Amino acid sequence: MRRGDVLALLLAVSILPPLYAVLWHDGRGGDYARILVGGQQRELVSLHEDRTLEVSGELGVSTLEVKEGQIRFLASPCPGQQCVHNGWIHFGGDVLTCLPNKISIAILGGEQRFDSVNF
Amino acid sequence: MSAPLLRHETLIARTDDFRIAAWAALAITIHILESAVPMLLPGLKPGLANVIVVAVLVCYGWRSAAWVALLRVLVGSLLIGTFLTPTFLLSLSGALASVAALYLAWRLGGWFPRWAPGALGYSVLASMAHMAGQFFVAYALLIPHPALLKLLPLLMTLALAFGIMSGLIAAAMVRSIHGRERTDQIT
Repeated sequence: MRRGDVLALLLAVSILPPLYAVLWHDGRGGDYARILVGGQQRELVSLHEDRTLEVSGELGVSTLEVKEGQIRFLASPCPGQQCVHNGWIHFGGDVLTCLPNKISIAILGGEQRFDSVNF
Repeated sequence: MSAPLLRHETLIARTDDFRIAAWAALAITIHILESAVPMLLPGLKPGLANVIVVAVLVCYGWRSAAWVALLRVLVGSLLIGTFLTPTFLLSLSGALASVAALYLAWRLGGWFPRWAPGALGYSVLASMAHMAGQFFVAYALLIPHPALLKLLPLLMTLALAFGIMSGLIAAAMVRSIHGRERTDQIT
């Protein structure tokens, strides 16, 4: 193998990791979470500062946790606990809802993965 | 002009032309054989005809290699029946990109002989350029959908693998050609 072969191989191999990194990345997370209670905006929280917050809804108080650009329902007074089991969201356009407690969280900013979401 | 020309003869086939024709015929044969082999992903082929182009490049220079590469695409498409179809367009854009990459590497190799690639290096560069050129045209003209871009890293990885494979074959071929040239003169 010649020196030029090694050079050509290195060049070819060095192209691959940036290609994977740029084209196979997950997309950027959102910057804010809009919290709605009964369809009305209650709060707009930044995803960049970690905190827990309590939001009172139809049934009682839901606890939300913001951590490392993500948000989730930490605890909820609802019977099904589906909102808690949904876990973390962070992409622009992602939505978490707790129907019994009439609380929903939508991520704003970032790359929108979907134009619209229907349930 | 040392050889006297006949009055109405304007085109004379030289040794170079015969050599290019012979190598192109070989490349075209491989191209057609390969088109009959089914592949896992559409648009993906080992590109064994590239072996011929690289071997010609190393043995006879860039001009002959470019002729062989482009003749292969043109005549190959005429024989398979894909001339001027999207397949032909992709094939041509890939061939043009790889010929351009080979020209660049050839020129750089001329300026810095210590760093000139051999058959393996040329083959890898040609293979990657072929895939990139083909993909760019496919994305720009045929399927301008962002989801197509997700395929690019995978296709480039496979292009690298196939480039190494055909580069090793081309290197063995070049050794064999040089060995034979010592015993009898082949064109």
